[in-house]
Amino acid sequence: MRFVLASVTAFASITAAAATAQSVPAPQVGAAARDFRLTDSNGRNHSLAQYRGKTVVLEWNNPGCPYVQKHYNSGNMQRSQAAARERGVVWLTVNSGAPGKQGHMTGAQANGFLTEQKATPAAYLLDARGVVGKAYAATTTPEMLVITPAGRIAYMGAIDDKPTSKVEDVPGARNHVLAALDELRAGKAVSVAKTRSYGCSVKYAT
Amino acid sequence: MTKAVFGRLLMFLFALLAGDAAAHAQLPTPGRNAIAAALVAEGSAPRAGGTVQLAVTMQPQPGWHGYWMNPGEAGVPPRISWTLPPGLRAGTMQFPTPKPLLISGIMNYVYEGPYAHLVTLHVPPGVTGTIPLRAHFQWLACTDEVCVPEEGKLALDLPVGDGAVDPVRRAEFDRYRAALPLPLDRAGTSAVTDGRFRLALPLPGVDAAGAYFFPAEDGRLSYSAAQVPSRAGDLLLIETGAEGAAQPVSGVLRLADGRGFAVRAEPGAVPRADAQGGLGTGILAITALAFLGAVLGGLLLNIMPCVFPILSLKALSLARAGGDERSARAEALGYTAGAVAMAVLLGGLLLALRAGGEAAGWAFQLQNPPVVFALLLLTVAITLNLAGLFELPTLGGQFAGEGNAFATGALATFVATPCTGPFMGAALGALLVLPAAAAVAIFVGLGLGLALPFLLLGFVPALRRRLPKPGPWLERFRRVLALPMAATAVALAWVLGRQVGVDGMALGLAAAVLLAAALWAWGVRQRNGASARWTTWVPAALAVALVAALPRGGAAPASTVTPLLAERFSEARLAQLQNERRPVFVYFTADWCVSCKVNEKTSIDRPQVAAAFRRANVATLVGDWTNADPEIGRFLAGQGRTGVPLYLYYRPGSQTPEVLPQVLTPGRLTALTT
Repeated sequence: MRFVLASVTAFASITAAAATAQSVPAPQVGAAARDFRLTDSNGRNHSLAQYRGKTVVLEWNNPGCPYVQKHYNSGNMQRSQAAARERGVVWLTVNSGAPGKQGHMTGAQANGFLTEQKATPAAYLLDARGVVGKAYAATTTPEMLVITPAGRIAYMGAIDDKPTSKVEDVPGARNHVLAALDELRAGKAVSVAKTRSYGCSVKYAT
Repeated sequence: MTKAVFGRLLMFLFALLAGDAAAHAQLPTPGRNAIAAALVAEGSAPRAGGTVQLAVTMQPQPGWHGYWMNPGEAGVPPRISWTLPPGLRAGTMQFPTPKPLLISGIMNYVYEGPYAHLVTLHVPPGVTGTIPLRAHFQWLACTDEVCVPEEGKLALDLPVGDGAVDPVRRAEFDRYRAALPLPLDRAGTSAVTDGRFRLALPLPGVDAAGAYFFPAEDGRLSYSAAQVPSRAGDLLLIETGAEGAAQPVSGVLRLADGRGFAVRAEPGAVPRADAQGGLGTGILAITALAFLGAVLGGLLLNIMPCVFPILSLKALSLARAGGDERSARAEALGYTAGAVAMAVLLGGLLLALRAGGEAAGWAFQLQNPPVVFALLLLTVAITLNLAGLFELPTLGGQFAGEGNAFATGALATFVATPCTGPFMGAALGALLVLPAAAAVAIFVGLGLGLALPFLLLGFVPALRRRLPKPGPWLERFRRVLALPMAATAVALAWVLGRQVGVDGMALGLAAAVLLAAALWAWGVRQRNGASARWTTWVPAALAVALVAALPRGGAAPASTVTPLLAERFSEARLAQLQNERRPVFVYFTADWCVSCKVNEKTSIDRPQVAAAFRRANVATLVGDWTNADPEIGRFLAGQGRTGVPLYLYYRPGSQTPEVLPQVLTPGRLTALTT
């Protein structure tokens, strides 16, 4: 009986968290990015507030999604992460896949993925309950967000302008994230601040 | 406590395993696509210089779905790139009406069962041999759990031939065509207020409940927000969360019955829904309003020349009845019952004709010459009675009993219809979109309004006492009232003349003279205290018999009282009429098409158009596309049209029709016959 009760409570709390996340206004370019706290693949906690003063990139990840694979198999995502690191930008990869759904990973699995792909984000954050994903209205993988040092959303949308799953489409594409980072560094306004993300849907629990 | 933690862990592991197993089980069989795509052609041997309909058929495995042109919050639309011989051209890929699919709060616009994308291939003249059709097609297949981008090389070799189509293939393609959204004739409006996106589409005659709007463009509305459909008269409204400022938007509206409409809207005012709390009360509100309008209209009719004489004499006779409260009430009720019954009878007949596909309008009985002829004789008889030539219990005054009162009420309503047109036009227009029960309520209102003054007189003795006392002046008053009745007779004679020409009118007037003679003879005998005999019956019978001699021209048989004797459209009937070398007017309409209904009301269902068409022996065919009849769909496509309205005029001996503008005038139609 207590077993059932406990499960029901766990389920109810997840649902309640998702419900509260959905009731907040959708994120907008130019608006303040909502703070969050998540644990990474090594068990360390990260909050958005702790990176105030630095530019932050959020990348939604699902290793099982063919559109994510396109950007990892081509090395495009790793190159973008390295370029961001060089510019002093904090790159946070977020996995909002629910347990039991495609792409969900434990900390160990995530570390294995990063090693295998030679990926170098500042951290791989585990958002299995989807609270942060829903707060940022992330619907697809890969989906990208750029946050200014002042904590405002500067870019949200796709990684590039070729909405396909084909590796050969990477070279000719415009990398919206790197373009936004360059424009921010030059003190210019981000010319393409919002695009339509493409890919698989984020595999939320509910 | 530890037990609980252990239990939770177990639960978690179980979910992990089960989920994994499910996801793996759903992966497509290696070497086989989750959605099988194939290229097929409707005609196996297309004609050079023509078009052939191609379909990319999609067969998803159970649990898998494909995506619409706008995939929603996730997903990717399919893409096709053709490799065709020079000169051949493939049109844009068409998308059937999709379904909304919410997965974990993320909205997807998808197809879950088998579906097909239609593409029109244009084959230029002079092409011979075999046409190799090649296309590279990419599409995304997903389950609720996983997505797989798929692609395929589509290939089809078509020999150039006579363009014939196999009936089985035709039926298959008819199904594909039926799944495409129907283009709506008019644009709607969209507005964004307080973060809410509101859309108004001119779409009468369909049920709003369960309607869903798919925007073709991104950033117009919040995909995963619930959509609330409602109605504002002829407008179907959709309200949901907004995504940005109001912008032009296009897309597909899906109804609960699965029908889809291709729609577009410009930023503009969006009215409020008819009533809070849903559709049922909305209809009730319209009905109540239309009912009140009908009562008011009926009330106004009392002062029209057709009704006033009958009513006023009736009223005075009631006054004469004096203090007998009960008989006064019975009289009033009888009269009211008669008026309402006749209104409902005429209204019911009108609705039945409409349901039967006739484009009948109020006062439709006046479009039937024999009925006009009969009405003419009736008004002449009433005129002569009022003038004192003869006495009739019902109208003359010395009557009693509810039976007579009932007949008088019915007569008043029947005679009143010619006068209803200008007043009742708007209220009766509501009938187009109201259910039958609500329409009947309007007719009841009309009859009730007509009987209202008399009803009041019957039930309020104070009012009766204020009526002037009967006296010799009453006889004079009655003579005076003969004048408006005579005017009504003149108007009817004119209507008859418009319908069947001068000969018919002369016939009507001759009948009136005969009737006058008969009634005069009767009157003479009445004054001598005798009853009617052959001097009355013979000329009266003769007068009535003259109706048989009315010019037939278009003198419609009772079953077809519409001004245009429209027949149901079929290509076979069209060909037959063309063989008979008759000019043919063909029009296509649908109950949900506002432009169609406006044109029918203002231009097509017009007496002058009917008369002109009758003179020129023009046959009229009407195609009703309300339910997307495939034969009509094919015919429209053959005319290069995707929707209604469409107006065509075939001159005798010509296979190519004259395409008339979408905004008609009666003059434009009558000019066709000259």
